[in-house]
Amino acid sequence: MSLPIIILCLISAILAVTMLFAKSPITSALCLLGVLIMTAGVYGLIGEHMIATIQLVVYAGAIMVLFIFSIMLLNLSNSENDFKQKPKIFIFGLAIGLSVFAFIANSILTHFQNHSSDRQLGIFTPQVVSDLGGNSKVLSHALFSQFYVSFEVISLALLVAVVGAVVLAKRKID
Amino acid sequence: MTNEILIQLLAAFLFTTGMLIVLLRRDTIMILMGIELLLNAANLSLVAFSKTGHMIEGQVQVFFIITIAAAESAIGLSILVNLYRNFGSIKTQTATTLKG
Repeated sequence: MSLPIIILCLISAILAVTMLFAKSPITSALCLLGVLIMTAGVYGLIGEHMIATIQLVVYAGAIMVLFIFSIMLLNLSNSENDFKQKPKIFIFGLAIGLSVFAFIANSILTHFQNHSSDRQLGIFTPQVVSDLGGNSKVLSHALFSQFYVSFEVISLALLVAVVGAVVLAKRKID
Repeated sequence: MTNEILIQLLAAFLFTTGMLIVLLRRDTIMILMGIELLLNAANLSLVAFSKTGHMIEGQVQVFFIITIAAAESAIGLSILVNLYRNFGSIKTQTATTLKG
């Protein structure tokens, strides 16, 4: 367990909790941006450089710009705090969240304690990946050979989404 | 406790927080941001498990998930702009009619 990953995980968890409790949407958007950048750092630290770059460019670059742009376009200011209106529902929701987290954490810990030895390992060990020319090369090769149909379908879905967004934004509902 | 367990725990925590944001907040834009956080947590878990198991499929799936998330947020934000135009607010309790 390395120290930089611990620091990144701590900052990311704190930012996520701040995002849940923040009053103004712009604070939440900036906290989400921080979480995404910290996640990209975690990807880079475990050696997934391609995914880290895509995370930075697409998530932290494009999607967050869309969010901040629409917050500024709609001129959203501080909303009244959602939690003060109905504190009972809020406490109930926090209890549900804690139990869900406890359940997932328990199953993760049990899995790593009991079943980590009988896992079927793939062929892409770190040695093989570095022999084949690095993480980005291996991933791109898989993307354009083994998964090329999925890649084309995804690009079609992106085109449909762009056209749909334009149609939705131009239409006036009366 | 190794790196993998720490990353999986972080993914579980981010997932729980995103779920709470989707369930508890009343702003539509906060709900969309919560969905992004959920997708990000799922990505983190997929990459960490795939890295632990010496596989490449998880990273490819994460690539597709990020693309779908970009498309989803573009559509969602244009719906949100329409919602603001029709109801004058983006709170979920103001949008009570399906037909404008």
